[in-house]
Amino acid sequence: MEKPETPDEELVRRTQAGEAQAFDELILRFSPRLYGLVYHMTSSHEDTNDLLQDIFSKAYRSIKGFQGKSSFYTWMHTIAVNMTINFLKKRNRRKTMSLDDVDSGILNNQDFIEATSTADPSREANLSELQKRLNESMLKLSHDHRAVVTMFDIQGMPHAEISKVLKISEGTVRSRLFYAHRQLQNYLQEFIDK
Amino acid sequence: MDNEDSITKLLRLKRYEQPPEEYFQNFLAEFQTRQRSEVIHRPLIHIAWDRFSSLFVMPPIPRLAMASSVLAAVFTAAFILNWSDDAEPSSLTLTSSGAVQLDSKNQITPSKVGSTVHYVLPASPVSYASARSF
Repeated sequence: MEKPETPDEELVRRTQAGEAQAFDELILRFSPRLYGLVYHMTSSHEDTNDLLQDIFSKAYRSIKGFQGKSSFYTWMHTIAVNMTINFLKKRNRRKTMSLDDVDSGILNNQDFIEATSTADPSREANLSELQKRLNESMLKLSHDHRAVVTMFDIQGMPHAEISKVLKISEGTVRSRLFYAHRQLQNYLQEFIDK
Repeated sequence: MDNEDSITKLLRLKRYEQPPEEYFQNFLAEFQTRQRSEVIHRPLIHIAWDRFSSLFVMPPIPRLAMASSVLAAVFTAAFILNWSDDAEPSSLTLTSSGAVQLDSKNQITPSKVGSTVHYVLPASPVSYASARSF
């Protein structure tokens, strides 16, 4: 029988008490999800790797101040989104994002190929072109809109959770999503079923 | 199909853009290495600051206890200082003319008392005066 998973709160409490292995467990648990969040906002694997290291470092340094007013999941997402938005602001000042950064590994991913053929059976859309256009359209959104789209559309988080992470009302989450979807429709028109 | 749904469906394809499983194991190892090197190369002032700020994130009861102890220590120190000031006797100096002078710490400033105050006592003590002088 499989051992039940230790709750996040228990791991947090043990980390606060000085047990570093408990934080390692939290890293393994949260890194895939946070990787997705940061990657879809930056569209760069290299930047995501560096940022994720910084995010966990910051979380480890601040964990003693975590009082459990929100869930650890929300707390981690808030740190990740804030640090990513700050990074994007700096990166925009430094250079214009290169779109050569498109992930080539995914084009061999069977799940992706199947999902694409289900999503778009009427057209033989070039997968590489679709991925490129998806990334381009995401990068055209403002940082705030991109964060909401990443959390809702890509990661499937509910509106209420997003509002807690971003510390905005649910109404604002919905209006940002509406506006972002309208923009994305223009960029991705040819891939949308009619 | 609703356009809104189609957008969501297309965006969900991005979920597959994940690195392989091994990446996350390597990520943890990289994190640990980085953390260790941070500890070694961290400026002393940052370590001191972290230790100082960690004092204020303790659970509420010890924090209250610490605040009361600090307050008690401050009051005790203030009381001891005040008491030693009061207990110090006024030192009197005998001048060459035979007059007794108060030391500078206990002098009364002329601005407070006006010009009629005598700082120098008469040379012959009252007790030595003849009884017939009344």
